[in-house]
Amino acid sequence: MTSTEGKRANYKQRYEPDDNGLRFQDLVYTGNFVGQDPVPDGILGDKVLKERAKSKVLERVSKEDALRDQFTIDELNDLNNYLAWNIWDVLVMRATEGVSGMIPRQEYEILAFMHEFYRWPEILRMTTDAVGAQGILDIGATARREIGTKVNCVHDWCIGAVGFGMGRCGLLALEVIEADDYIEESNEILKFMQRVLWGKRQDGYILNSQDRYRCQIHEPDFLQTIVDQVEPLEPGSPKHDQFTQFNASAELLAFLDHYDCRLGLGDTGPYELPDGKLLILRDLFVNEEAYHWSDVCDDEGLPHAYSLALIIDPELLALQEIRVNDISTTFTRPKNYIQAIVGGAVFSREKWNTPMGEVAPIKIADLGEHLPKVQTATLKLYSKTARMNRRDLIWNGQYVYYVDMILPHLRLAGTYEKACEEYKLWEIDQRVANYYYDITKRGFAQETVPQKIFSGAGYLPFSDGADLRRSKYRWL
Amino acid sequence: MEILAEGYNAFETDKSPSGVVKYLDKPQDVIKLIQSGKLKEHILLVRGGTTTFLTPALSMGAIGVITMSGAPESHLGILSREFQMPCVMTAYLTTSDSRYEVGNVDEKHFREIAETLDGRTVRLDCTDSTVGRVIEA
Repeated sequence: MTSTEGKRANYKQRYEPDDNGLRFQDLVYTGNFVGQDPVPDGILGDKVLKERAKSKVLERVSKEDALRDQFTIDELNDLNNYLAWNIWDVLVMRATEGVSGMIPRQEYEILAFMHEFYRWPEILRMTTDAVGAQGILDIGATARREIGTKVNCVHDWCIGAVGFGMGRCGLLALEVIEADDYIEESNEILKFMQRVLWGKRQDGYILNSQDRYRCQIHEPDFLQTIVDQVEPLEPGSPKHDQFTQFNASAELLAFLDHYDCRLGLGDTGPYELPDGKLLILRDLFVNEEAYHWSDVCDDEGLPHAYSLALIIDPELLALQEIRVNDISTTFTRPKNYIQAIVGGAVFSREKWNTPMGEVAPIKIADLGEHLPKVQTATLKLYSKTARMNRRDLIWNGQYVYYVDMILPHLRLAGTYEKACEEYKLWEIDQRVANYYYDITKRGFAQETVPQKIFSGAGYLPFSDGADLRRSKYRWL
Repeated sequence: MEILAEGYNAFETDKSPSGVVKYLDKPQDVIKLIQSGKLKEHILLVRGGTTTFLTPALSMGAIGVITMSGAPESHLGILSREFQMPCVMTAYLTTSDSRYEVGNVDEKHFREIAETLDGRTVRLDCTDSTVGRVIEA
């Protein structure tokens, strides 16, 4: 481990009201704030966005606010601006990763963005009609007493940030919609997102960035049942290596099963324990039954998810800041928290709906039985993926986004089958099917859309006087 | 000891692996390297900062990676930390002015790095909090 001798943890200062947090990157954001000071990342960026908001939607909102069916134009625009900054905040550096060499990710992403914006509104409305607005809050609240659940930060965030934010941004860039088109549908998507997240957090905020990058959602008594299973780990010991190796290997498979996207990973926390250590709860979804390519994971007998409890010693790390961001990923300064892990526990959830009482703990000494299965499934899935043609890779990836991002919510609402059968969820809309041929022209997927998304220039605001009922009526 | 290239350091570590740089262009190159049994003799050089391409190499214990794009927040940056495998990202040659810029870089940039580093024996220095270094060994 690199030396932290003489340095003390001061991460708790980040939670003091006047603290502006560290900067994790040198870049700054402009978006729709042309002519104003650029916005930085992190806690300070969140403060600036809240100061510039015209409404109170970025402050703590009440349950009644969440249950109300309609945002105002100011609220829609404040959410649009905040999500655009938040997307930049969590993804601008990741997005420098370039081509995959294996999966055409930019291509499948942009198709999924647009597909979601077109198709999700009626499916989300049908789901809200089925369970009621309170029912959507309740779906969010299930995450407070579960592990191995895809009702998590990244999925919930994606509803608004990806389906609304990036979907609308992509269609505006393609010039097939205008800024005041689909306002009613935008409201439908954002209300669904707000309700799920409000029900999950129950502190009035919806995003982790609004709360200094904390996602402390689990009920204390539930959390205690997890902590009770934690085994001590000494950094550098064989047992520590066994635990961290398993964490890394399962995370690798979770990314691959989800086509190199973050939907395979779900962190919550950090939870401070009585002894001052920090707990991160991590779900690694290594076998999603909705994907046909996951058959190789079935063959190895892998569960839907492994969940890991990671106990981090902030003093050992000399921790300056810890963020659990809105795509469910933990980042720290210093960066290498792996060697500050001093305790761990592992759980297995067989299916997405396996009751919590049947979620099985796995002793760290027994991980040797699980690791080879994870590694074998990984190699088989790689070999399978390497043989796929470009079109199959793009449409498979598209499904990972377009279906998986709302899959957990529809499953819990009991509307997934209806969405498949009556709303043809797994069909590709003709408009999007045709965009397949447009997105590779003139660098649309690899240059135009990323530039619009990460400069923030593509998230055009709705007009002040726009009609909240407006859909799209003209194709001229 | 000459510093051949620098880039983002994915995570801080005292590990300083050395080996012959092997440029991997296609998934088949990755599979062939695994099958050769010589994975741990090489520092892997790849173009992207994503994980899928290098999946088998990560799984089988690659000792170090250099990428030509991506950042610690990219999936490969995250996984390199999880595997505790030193990784220098968006590396540029210290002898060249060419730099990676999203959406504004041509093939020549990648080709120059691959041709310069492939086959060289190097050591990775990832002790700094932000800069990772590729040093001639």
